[in-house]
Amino acid sequence: MTLDDGPPTLAGMDIEELKSRYLNLEFDRKDFRIDPQRAATVARLSGETRAECIDPDHPEFTVPHAYLASLASGRHLPIDFPKLGGLPIDGGKAVRCFKPVKPDQTLTGRTHLHDIYDKSGRSGRMIFLVSRMELHNAEGELLATSDSKMIIRERS
Amino acid sequence: MSISSVDQVEFGTELGPWKPDTSIECTSAFAEAVGWGRAARFSDHEAARAEGHAGAMVPGIMGMGFLTTLIRTWAPEAIIEEIDTVFRAPMIADEAIEVSAVVTDIDEDERLVELDLTIRNDAAETRLFGTARLRFS
Repeated sequence: MTLDDGPPTLAGMDIEELKSRYLNLEFDRKDFRIDPQRAATVARLSGETRAECIDPDHPEFTVPHAYLASLASGRHLPIDFPKLGGLPIDGGKAVRCFKPVKPDQTLTGRTHLHDIYDKSGRSGRMIFLVSRMELHNAEGELLATSDSKMIIRERS
Repeated sequence: MSISSVDQVEFGTELGPWKPDTSIECTSAFAEAVGWGRAARFSDHEAARAEGHAGAMVPGIMGMGFLTTLIRTWAPEAIIEEIDTVFRAPMIADEAIEVSAVVTDIDEDERLVELDLTIRNDAAETRLFGTARLRFS
């Protein structure tokens, strides 16, 4: 079955065709104002106590990874992506930092589908969708990436 | 004990376990801080159960936050270049969890250290696991 054969179902999903159609194409772009106090609150509620982690005025303060991960909590799939019909699960988050992310600046998040794969187990087949948001500063430098993993479990 | 350079790191070193504050006041405030508002699934046990959950949950990314705190307390001067977490099962607010990590690889030439990460509940069930890569200066 291909995507042109009518409404797709998880059982007949062609992973390779999905990859060829959707991987590495930017489908969302959004600006974020990094609020220093909110970033510091995230660090404090994560158990941090050191000034460089919870005081946004500290010269070494950087935006915590968990806050960067939260920026990718919006739309994870292209608007024309097929309805998968399964039960979506938040499979996890990953953050990779290339440069320190300072607060009180506007970042631009550019999101694309980074990977699509499936696994079969005793509970049936699951499709894994990894969307990657690239976070750029006003000068266009890539500061970090934030991955969101969505798992679609085949209905039994 | 905290460390400051890669040559102080030993393969197999264990970080933690550490029991962070998972009170519903904290999970609720965390959700609000990241812009999710007072979502019931993080701030109200009864409302979360009505939505089909076992109770109000600890946000998965809060688990990531606990892990980065554990790492940065151990190695304050290292940079966490990458952290990758898998949300295996929900963590429930007001229930104790244990956050731990173990050193799995050391590259002294590149000053890199890799860690395996785990969060377990009181029943020793893994709720979240992952990996992290640190770079020392």
